[in-house]
Amino acid sequence: MAHIKWTDDLNTSIQVIDGQHHRIVEYINMLDDISSSHEKDKVEKVLNELVDYTLSHFAFEESLMEDAGYSFINGHKRVHQLFVKRVGDFLQRFKMGEDIVDELLMMLKSWLINHIRSDDNDYVAIVKSNMENINTASNDGWLKKSVKKFFG
Amino acid sequence: MAYIKWIGDYATGINVIDSQHKRIVHYINQLGDAQNMNEPELTGEVLMNLVDYTLSHFAFEESLMEDVGYDAAAIHIKTHDAFREKIKNYKKRYKAGEDVAEELNQLLNIWLVSHIQDDDGSYVPMVKEKIPEINGDETQSWIKYKIKQFFK
Repeated sequence: MAHIKWTDDLNTSIQVIDGQHHRIVEYINMLDDISSSHEKDKVEKVLNELVDYTLSHFAFEESLMEDAGYSFINGHKRVHQLFVKRVGDFLQRFKMGEDIVDELLMMLKSWLINHIRSDDNDYVAIVKSNMENINTASNDGWLKKSVKKFFG
Repeated sequence: MAYIKWIGDYATGINVIDSQHKRIVHYINQLGDAQNMNEPELTGEVLMNLVDYTLSHFAFEESLMEDVGYDAAAIHIKTHDAFREKIKNYKKRYKAGEDVAEELNQLLNIWLVSHIQDDDGSYVPMVKEKIPEINGDETQSWIKYKIKQFFK
């Protein structure tokens, strides 16, 4: 399968979010690389890392939206929850011995791209302006603190 | 296969919802293309994406309706449920090797337009009234919204 290629329209212009999205793309591409090896242990390791990182990213993103008072946060959260459930179902099937990797990869690739372009794009203006306000209020440590909180 | 052309009438005026609807239209048309090119693999991929994305859109929309206290939310959700059931069946039939693209394309064509114009048309005014973010200046209108919420 083809790797996800990062295109400019995937940039939200919020650096910390773009960095996290890049990382998720790297995980997906890594999963793609090792999927053909059919080595279950390796696949499982990357899968778990991908899921862990994505969950942290969602929590981080939701907290940014909440801080900024983004109006559609509940809808956005619901979309995250549905995705987590979808991936959970795949993991379950994987554990039962089913070869789900290609199907999962296809879903991950299109889901992420759609989600960034439509749903994430919608919160950018308000989150960005909120982050700028916090930074100018000489609270530079806020972002670092938030990142640390979710990613350890 | 029938194609859908996005027209101004389909716009609800809520950016994030419009962007999701446009994405569904894009997939419906892509499904037609894949089918015309006689590419079963691509057809399958688009079909899965279309189903996933539509379900994600439903989740977003339902949460929005709940947020604004839309009184017909339960009915709206029921129509989503019926539709969810329908597309789940298509997915099953597709996985069993049946060619369902043409049928699904027709169903979605009819459904999407009536969904946007009739169903969504009825809750959109409420969202616009209660969530003034869509008026442009997001931060300002959000503050006004919060002030109204607590001090009305």
